[in-house]
Amino acid sequence: MAEYSCLIVEDSPMMRQLLVFALARVKNLRVTEADDGVDGLRKLASARYDIIVTDINMPIMDGLKLVKRVRSDPVHKDTPIVIITTEGSQEDRQRALQLGANAYITKPIQAPQVIATVKELLKID
Amino acid sequence: MSKEQKSHGSGKADSSPPDLRKERDQFLQTFSKGAKLTEEFIKDYEQMQRRMGELEAENTRLRASLSADTAMRDLMDKIDRLEHEKRELLSRYREAQAVSTQFSARAEEVESEFANLANLFVASNQLHSSMSPRGVTRRIKEVLAQLVGAERYCMYLVNADGSELVPIASEGIAGDKLITLRVDNSRVGEVLRTGIAYVDEEGDPSRGTLEQPSAVVPLSVDEKVVGVIAIFATLAQKRKFFTIDFELFKLLGQHAAAALVAASLFAQAERKLPGLEAFLDLSV
Repeated sequence: MAEYSCLIVEDSPMMRQLLVFALARVKNLRVTEADDGVDGLRKLASARYDIIVTDINMPIMDGLKLVKRVRSDPVHKDTPIVIITTEGSQEDRQRALQLGANAYITKPIQAPQVIATVKELLKID
Repeated sequence: MSKEQKSHGSGKADSSPPDLRKERDQFLQTFSKGAKLTEEFIKDYEQMQRRMGELEAENTRLRASLSADTAMRDLMDKIDRLEHEKRELLSRYREAQAVSTQFSARAEEVESEFANLANLFVASNQLHSSMSPRGVTRRIKEVLAQLVGAERYCMYLVNADGSELVPIASEGIAGDKLITLRVDNSRVGEVLRTGIAYVDEEGDPSRGTLEQPSAVVPLSVDEKVVGVIAIFATLAQKRKFFTIDFELFKLLGQHAAAALVAASLFAQAERKLPGLEAFLDLSV
């Protein structure tokens, strides 16, 4: 059975823990955590990931910069990216999607929605 | 031929004895009758043959029709059986579909319950994962912002004589609005006095105000209300409070102040753990 890997980039330990709990419901998904954009890029440079779930508002490097960098990385340029953020406006959503994000989920998150989005992007039943 | 024979043959000059003539006539009559009878018999025979042919044809037709009727009856029986089977299959399919729908709904409920439990576990885990007052406060704010979706809120603790609420931590509120509140008949004061949370279940919580908060949660320590958390407005996308929010309010009410008090006492004791003697007389 295929195994998938997911990178969670989120500065809040609580949100990371919640996302790890949620994504543990997706079969054969291995989750790695990074606590900001820079840490995320470091992890992306050392391994290949099938999906990235990232926050926007983070210190050092925010989620949108991370999306830009990922889209110019030959290894991960096609990797699906899910944005999870408190910014709920239509402009924020548009901006993230234009930069190359594949899905946009606003906080507070509903675990079933996160699970369904990740499954859909990974094409898992 | 002799003359006699000739005249006998023509019958004009019948010279034979009368009895022979009579016998001949009788014979001729009988023969003629026999011939007639034979002719009739042949006619009857031919008629009978025709009739038999007709009857055979009719018989064949009737047999064919009979077998067609039987085949038709068989087909009708088969259709009935198939219709019955179809009805049974449809009914079983509908039953299976209903079970599947029930199962899906139940699975969805379980997933939702699991998500709620995960939220509560994470919140509780975070509240008690720090022993510094600042750390606990930061975590309370995290729960409010990330799990509840609160945008503007303030945590107040009551003063020693219970007359005023002092702001301890807040988010999204201008400094000049962060003032000590008198414990009066306002929504906040009422929650402090009664110890019963107020949650606006009907309105849009993102449209709450400082005067009309969307939710006010009492904070208790050892069953005594020591403060409140007032949520003045949620994030714009949070248009109502859900079951999990009520659970989170309950959890915050019971754990937030206790965690804060424990962290403060620990800080006052200069992060020194109590000696073993403090636990020896628990009588449990």
